[in-house]
Amino acid sequence: MFVLFSAISIPAFTLFIAGMSLFLSHRRAMKLFRSAIRWYGIIIVKILPFPLVKIHYKDYAASDKQPSIFVANHRSASDPFLIACLPGELVQVVNTWPFRIPVLGLIARLAGYLSINEMPFEEFSRQIVKLLNQGVSIVTFPEGTRSAGKAMGQFHGSIFRIALQAKFPIVPVCITGNEKIPLKGLLRLRPGNIKVHKLSELKWEEYKDLKPFKLKNMVRDMIAAEIDIMEQDS
Amino acid sequence: MKKEIITKTNQVFEESFEINKNKLLPEMNIFNDLGLDSLDVVDLVVALQQKFGVKIRDDERIRNIRTLEDIYSFIFAIKNGSSSLPFKEDKQ
Repeated sequence: MFVLFSAISIPAFTLFIAGMSLFLSHRRAMKLFRSAIRWYGIIIVKILPFPLVKIHYKDYAASDKQPSIFVANHRSASDPFLIACLPGELVQVVNTWPFRIPVLGLIARLAGYLSINEMPFEEFSRQIVKLLNQGVSIVTFPEGTRSAGKAMGQFHGSIFRIALQAKFPIVPVCITGNEKIPLKGLLRLRPGNIKVHKLSELKWEEYKDLKPFKLKNMVRDMIAAEIDIMEQDS
Repeated sequence: MKKEIITKTNQVFEESFEINKNKLLPEMNIFNDLGLDSLDVVDLVVALQQKFGVKIRDDERIRNIRTLEDIYSFIFAIKNGSSSLPFKEDKQ
């Protein structure tokens, strides 16, 4: 289903956006492009696997409007698709290898997705700040790699250093239930319930006096605490 | 001198990273156990330089540091102008 849907939808929406871009500004075309990717993600995770896989999304602060830095735990390859639940125009920070996935990697690159491994920190920081100032939210998985289980890895601090400079809110995002959806290295989904909880934002005024190391561990602790609650409720 | 190095190094971790002193055991891996990343290591180097009044930024041996004990040994070697790892040798 995933492959079939992707084979039809990706060329269709790419052609549509390419056509529309002739009449739109670059900024409007990118917004449309990222919106299409978001809808693709929603269909992949919410509609195609239903009712075998159910997504339970909970937003603790639905009124947030300004662009934010979303920080999520990372258990599975389905996480980048689940991120489609989040509001607004999104750009994800990814590892280098997703750019090598046929078609999807190219789409991610065209949509302006960023990899810190492909550029110096200063350039990475400059591009993140530029996107935030354009109204685009950033999604990061600071563990850097999938845990494939319930344990959460240590966080890398780059995005927290940028947040301190850029003065945008940080929004913790907790994802559970998908550690085997799919199993690491496989594409096949298993039945299950996945929860995605978007926590209240941490405003810059609330964290500006923290050192990057303290900030990243504070956000990690917030995510870990919510995950504990989510898994007890399962 | 070894004790002073351990105390001062642990102070750097407490002051710069607010890591609880109970976690500062010699065998702790500074990345996996204490949660530092490559950018934190830059901060660590600066803090160690200030604490011990030494220049270590360009020392190639930094790349081999994994545990707190590695740092103690590294600082000890710097202070003594040697390339040995005395703490580890003491254990054998």
